[in-house]
Order: sequence, then structure tokens, then C-alpha cells
Amino acid sequence: MSIPKLEFPPFHLPPEAEELRVEVRAFLHETLPKVKSEDRFASWNTFSPQFSRELGKQGWIGITWPKQYGGSEKSFLERYVVTEELLGNSAPAGAHWVADRQSGPLLLRFGSEEQRQAILPRITAGECFFSIGMSEPDSGSDLASVRTRAEPVPGGFRVNGTKVWTSGAHRNHYCIALVRTSGQHGDRHKGLSQILVDLKTPNISIRPIINLAGRHDWNEVTFSDTFVPESCLIGNEGDGWLQVTSELAFERSGPERFMQNYYILRELVRVLGRQPAKRAAAILGRIIARLWTLRQMSVAVAGMMQGGKSPAIEASLVKDLGTIYQQDLPEIARVLAESDATTEEDMADFLDVAQYATMMAPSYTIQGGTTQVLRGIVARGLGLR
Amino acid sequence: MDRETREMLLETADRFFTQRCGKDIVNGVEKGVWPADLWKEIEEMGLPRIAVPEDKDGAGGTLADMLAVLRLAGSHAVPVPLAETALANLLVSAAGGVPATGTSTLALGKVVFNGNRLSGKVDRVPFAAVADRFVTVATSNGKPMVAVVAAGNVSINEVPTHAGEPYGTVTFDNPACEFAAASPVSLERAIELAALVRAMQMAGAADKVLSIAVEYSKQRVQFGRPISTFQAIQHMLAELASCVAATIASAEAAARDADEGGLADGGRFSIAAAKSQASEFAQRIAAIAHQSMGAMGFTHEHILHHYTRRLWVWRRDFGSESFWGEKIGTAFAKAGPQALWPALTSSQYAA
Repeated sequence: MSIPKLEFPPFHLPPEAEELRVEVRAFLHETLPKVKSEDRFASWNTFSPQFSRELGKQGWIGITWPKQYGGSEKSFLERYVVTEELLGNSAPAGAHWVADRQSGPLLLRFGSEEQRQAILPRITAGECFFSIGMSEPDSGSDLASVRTRAEPVPGGFRVNGTKVWTSGAHRNHYCIALVRTSGQHGDRHKGLSQILVDLKTPNISIRPIINLAGRHDWNEVTFSDTFVPESCLIGNEGDGWLQVTSELAFERSGPERFMQNYYILRELVRVLGRQPAKRAAAILGRIIARLWTLRQMSVAVAGMMQGGKSPAIEASLVKDLGTIYQQDLPEIARVLAESDATTEEDMADFLDVAQYATMMAPSYTIQGGTTQVLRGIVARGLGLR
Repeated sequence: MDRETREMLLETADRFFTQRCGKDIVNGVEKGVWPADLWKEIEEMGLPRIAVPEDKDGAGGTLADMLAVLRLAGSHAVPVPLAETALANLLVSAAGGVPATGTSTLALGKVVFNGNRLSGKVDRVPFAAVADRFVTVATSNGKPMVAVVAAGNVSINEVPTHAGEPYGTVTFDNPACEFAAASPVSLERAIELAALVRAMQMAGAADKVLSIAVEYSKQRVQFGRPISTFQAIQHMLAELASCVAATIASAEAAARDADEGGLADGGRFSIAAAKSQASEFAQRIAAIAHQSMGAMGFTHEHILHHYTRRLWVWRRDFGSESFWGEKIGTAFAKAGPQALWPALTSSQYAA
């Protein structure tokens, strides 16, 4: 039969990555007790410039980048370990998250030398934070329909349009925006480019969009005849779609897709006590098995990527399974804790955390490619479309 | 065996199973027709002795080689006790014995060896009604002992499973043993290894279910177009692929850990997690595949049930998700919240 083989060759992270894990863990055990517990629950949604600077001092932001830009020239697998340790220890890693994960690698790959020199060393120092300007009011999953326009004018572009769900725009330094630089709306992939926008530029208004948990992470960013210099174009005019798609595929299967609410599992272990009933132990063990499996899959994909392969379907499968696991976890944990928590005091603390986890859960299967978009990608991989 | 040799063996075995282990053979076993020729050829290929050392008449392969072959066998619903015999032969040779030819099965349960008497009763022994011998890990003065008993010397109460394979309850009441020796593998460990074998067979079967469902959706035309072009079907099959992928990935990771960690205790946590996952995903895999294939997949005529019924049986064999989940949950709860992350990243039970 002719369907592509789904394989996740078991992979060991190399010794240098495991050695780095020990260092990162020691650093986090030292640093994290000073962080407020609610900030730790939000993990990569928590904006803590102070924590990011300390991590930058260790050389653990932009860890794979060339030394000339402040990087450490370590492997993608060492970066994997840093990422999963931040998540496994619920570190407040939100400030530098996007810059390290997406924007920096994009500039490294497509940016001008001037852009790289100006920005990358500041990112690795934990001092320069980024937002993603892709979605618009009328363009979510259908990204190619963006309407924001950057008209060429002498010396640069005049930008008009609105971006939404722009996380952290109210406190970050830059936004990389996907805009139409030529052609007409309806030309789809053609004529799109990405521009590097300093969020302090005049004629940009940033308005909060509060999410259902009452948090201000998102913003609406409106460009009104905003002038952006020519030097801010990333790569070639018209290459925006190519850039965006390679950016989106980047680490779809990373640990952030199943470790975002890891704290709720740790809290569940705490409230169940050291000797839970058989039924409770079995449910707990099954969730742990599920998380372990996701990690094995994610590490296997990392290994394939390190080996020069592009496991796009496998990566999408990890994200699909991982985000659904994250969505199930608060519910399984809540129901189990309600029947099996050891003391009422423990339970009160737990419910606080569980409440937050429940409210955040809908976002997991939406952000960075919905379940439905992912399944479309997998279906294409299976030869169904 | 090296990678290339293993790949060649798997290719040969794949062709062999495709040609010689078709639908009629699988259906025949359910009706009580023993495929003697199939078993003979399997033995001639050396598959039941793949992990037995060469000096004990085996092929000298590793546990990983054996598991790779058994995953393949799972993807062909091979209706003979190849998996059971391969593991039984490994247990016998690990205890210093030279495995006999013929079929063996695993009677892993509470069996004691006391004053030269072997006694005990084991439920759900696979292929009990057709196996030539029964291999058990008995307790002898508190220590594990491998014992091999010929079929004529045990009493068997046949209880076929829902997959139609001749399982049964086996009672040992002071039988003569063909072989008995101290075992480097404990009973608990033998059950782990058997669970790992089943997880790999389930990975094979799950993989086959996915390819059957995908191929069917491309051929089945309704409303003037193949049903694979409907988004509802595409999303179902994509979800099916995710469940299959998780089953394969966890089983393969456990196989690697068991192989690298050694026969006596390698990959203990990984095996528990993999069998828990395989057992848990079995239902979703079967449910989606059947839903996507409509009435056709629900017929006896179609081969889909060869795989879905086996998934439903195998998920209970040698510990279901409840059994392995409880083991994991108990250990992790006992170790407390701080031990959780270090244990997960090192694929070990928390301690």
C-alpha cells in the first residue's frame, strides 16, 4: 500500500545536551524560587525581562546562532533541552520566547547583515523582544488573505492596516509584520513581504485585546500611514509567503506544544498525596504515559531534523496530539482531584491553578495553527488531498 | 544483527507474510484449522529463534531484532504463536537452555515450584489450545525459575478470545518438566517483556489499520467522488494517523530502551508507558477506522476486523492501560511532585 510510513525513530539527545540540562536545571533551581507562583504557571506567557536577561547572561538565548551575533553555536538539540527545562520547571520565559524561537531564526536566515548585527546580539542578551504580526481581523487560518499594505514610497514604505492577536506588542520592541507590498488583495501568496517594524515608530496605535482569562497578552496594532524605512524589508520583496511558511513549520513539534500547562500535572501529583487509591493511580499513570509518549515523539522529530530530514507530517502530528493532551489535562486533573485530593487545604490551592488552566485550555488548539489546519496538513501528507 | 541484515530479513519476511498469511489462513485459524505449513516455513526462516544465541541453535539476533519482526507480524495478523514462541525461546535460552522446535506459549502467572512440584493456574494463556509447550517463570524458594512443560502434561480449558485465537486457562499440577533452570528474568520482568511484545504487535496492527482505511477512502466513491475528498473524512483519518503514530512511537521507544538496558531490567518505565498508550489508543484507532469504512468494514468478508479485533484483545494481554497506569501512577505519586520531571526526561520510574 502506498501511504507514507509514519516513523518516529527513537532518538537519544546527545551527551553534550544532557550535560547542558544539568547546568540549566541547577540555574533554574537557584533562580526560580524568587519568582511569584502565578507567573510560573503562565510559563512562556509570562513577561519577565529580568528573567530573560539572566538567561541571556548564561548564553542560553539564541544558543544555536553564530557567535558573531551573540550566539553560542550550539546544536539544535541543545536548544531543545534548554526549552524543555524552561517548561518543565515552569520558568517565566515569555519575554524572549518569540524572539528566540521565531524572529531571530527568521532574521538569521532571511535578514540583511545590517538587521542581523543590529538586532541579534540584543536578543541573545535577553534585551530585545518580538511580536508576530501575521493575523488580521479577516485573516486567521487563511493567512494569504492579509490586507495590510506597505506602499513603496521614496526611502521606504507607507503602511496601512490592522494586525490582531499581537501578543506582547504593548511591551515588546519589534514586530515582524506580513504585509502586501505589490499586487492586489486576492493575489494570495504573490506580492507578500515581511517587514521589521520598531513598535515605537510614529503612527502605530496599540490597543489591548483582553482574553477570557482577563489577561492582557494580545493587542490590536493599527498602522495609519506609518512610514517604515526601506532597510526594514526582510529578504526580497515578494518572499513573505515563503518566509512565513518556513517559520510556521519551524518547530511545530517543540516541547511547548505539550508542556505549556505541565504545572497542572505536577500539582495533581502533589494533591493526590504519596499513596493514592488504585483507580486514581491508574488515571495519573495513564496521563504520565501520554506525556512521556509526546516527549518521545517530539525528541524523535528533533533527531530527524538534526539528521537533515524535514518531517513535516510527523511534526504536525505531534502538535495535534500535544495540544489536545494539554486541553484534556486540566479536565482529567480536576475531576481526579475532586474525588481523590488528600486534604481540603491542598484542594483549595489546586483549584486555583486548575481554574486558570481551564480558562487557558481553548487557546492551545488554536494558536500557531488550529487543529483543523493541522489535520488538513496531515491529510495532504496521507495523500487524501 | 546489523541494520542492513535486519532490513533484508524484514523485507523477506514481509513478502513471505503477504504471500503465505492471507485472509483465508487467518479465518481458518478461527475455525480451528491449524496452518501447519505456515508454521513450518516460519521455523525454516528462523523467526521463532531470532533472539536465541547461535550456540543455542538460534539466529543470534538482539531483542530489538526480535521486536522488529514481531511488529511486522502484527501488521499481517499472523495467526500463529510466533510472538509467544520467540519470547519463550529467548527466556529459555537466557536460562541456559536450548529451545526445542515447535510452538511455545507463555503461561505467565502465579506458578510455584515447591519440593519438585510445579503447580499453579494461569488465565488467558495465548494459543493455549494449539501450543506444543508452555513456558512459565515459576517461583522456586523465592527465586525465579524458567520451566518448560509439554502440552500433554498440563490441563487446558480453552477460552477463545474475541479475535478468535485459541486462548485458554492452563493448570500445572506436578507435571514433568522438559527443562527447568534458574532464570535471570523475574516473573514481573517476563510480563514486562510480553507487554512490550504486544505493544510492538499493536504498533504493526495499528499501522495496517491506517493504511487499510486510507486506501479504502480513496477507492470508495459516493456522491460522485472518492470519500477521501470530503473534509470530514480527511480530518477523521488525520486523527487516526495521530493515534497510530503515538502507538508506533511509544512502542519503538520502549523497544529501544529495553534493548539497550538489557534483558533483566532495561526500559522498565518505557515499557509500562508504551503498553498503557497502545492499550489506550486501541479503541480510538478501531472506532475511527470502522466509522470511516461504514458497513463494508463491519463485515466478516473484509479484513479490517482481523486487526481491530486483535487490538481489542491485545490491549488486555499482559496488562491493560489500567494495570500499567496503576504501576506508573503509584510509583510517581510515592516519589512526589519534585521527582516527576527528572523521571520523565530520563524515561525512568520516579524514585
